[in-house]
Amino acid sequence: MNTREAKEILLLYRGPVDDADPQFREALTHAQRDRELTEWLQEHTRCYDAIRAKLRLVEPPIDLPQKIISARPVLFRRNWNEILKLAAAIIISASITALGFKLSEHKRRSIPQGQEIIVKGEVLDMTCYIAYNLSGPEHASCARDCIRSGLPVGIKAEDGRVYLLTGKAGKPVNAELADDAAKVVIIKGKKSIRDGFAQLQVEEIRKF
Amino acid sequence: MSADVDFEKLVKRYYQDLYRFGFSLTGSESDASDLTQETFYIWARKGHQLNDPANVKGWLFTTLHREFLKICRRRKRFADEPIEESAHDLPDVPVDCVNRIDSRTLVRMLREIDEDFRAPLVLYYMEDFSYKQIADVLAIPLGTVQSRIARAKMQLLRRLSETNAPRTK
Repeated sequence: MNTREAKEILLLYRGPVDDADPQFREALTHAQRDRELTEWLQEHTRCYDAIRAKLRLVEPPIDLPQKIISARPVLFRRNWNEILKLAAAIIISASITALGFKLSEHKRRSIPQGQEIIVKGEVLDMTCYIAYNLSGPEHASCARDCIRSGLPVGIKAEDGRVYLLTGKAGKPVNAELADDAAKVVIIKGKKSIRDGFAQLQVEEIRKF
Repeated sequence: MSADVDFEKLVKRYYQDLYRFGFSLTGSESDASDLTQETFYIWARKGHQLNDPANVKGWLFTTLHREFLKICRRRKRFADEPIEESAHDLPDVPVDCVNRIDSRTLVRMLREIDEDFRAPLVLYYMEDFSYKQIADVLAIPLGTVQSRIARAKMQLLRRLSETNAPRTK
């Protein structure tokens, strides 16, 4: 290695911070034997130190750390298990809702308002049925009394659907059906749905 | 709560170094403050992804440099120049030349150096990073780091020598 080559390498030498870097070892050894190179290296290192010191004199604004700390974002460690569970719950919930809408839409389309249907099922006292889930032969007496007293009357079809029964022009059908409380009848009428509640406007009652 | 304490400790430990790096890159106090602040906020959001906690400083410098590049929106690349070309033209700058200027003048001179060369030169002067660490921080090859530092250093020393040269009428 000659002086020029050593100088090219030592151009990047910064002093102690680079002492462990093997790329400078041979050039430093060479500099120890070359007085001119030694002097150049000393001046070069002093110059490096002076520039470094100047740059490190730059002071940040005094309030900078507090500004950073006070406006820091909310920190939290992500719990991916929880996030995945939440995401799954949201997806399932959204899917069920979408499916519900679809079914509701489908029903609305398949059974137009006012469509005439025939329903076979048990005559219900709607108040006791909805409030206390009471129906069947053991509740027949109560149901009869309730229907007679003017409480809403309904029918629970064989497929489980329940309809509120009304007469033509909104007239009650309680008198016609009170004696058939908790019994099975066949009713022909016009079905309509409002806000999820099904109603059957009675046209004909067939009793057994 | 402990995350808050860790964040505060981190800020207090590194904000000066990061600010100086940012200021040397941008030459602007507000830009340097913004870069420093944004760097810590990115740490708050993504710091947990760092695998090696010993490399926090490098991670912060890398992040600040990336944010700086985003601001600049310049991706001009220069062909790397061999170190020996720089060495041939290296002006001899006595240490007195450096002592005669203040920090802000020095930073202004750094600002005149192309940004691709400026960042490695600033890290070379200001921090005790090895060349490999500088290469990692800036995400460029080791050889490129060294050639850029050599060339940038030559530019800086030339400016220093011109500043101190006697004026002629």
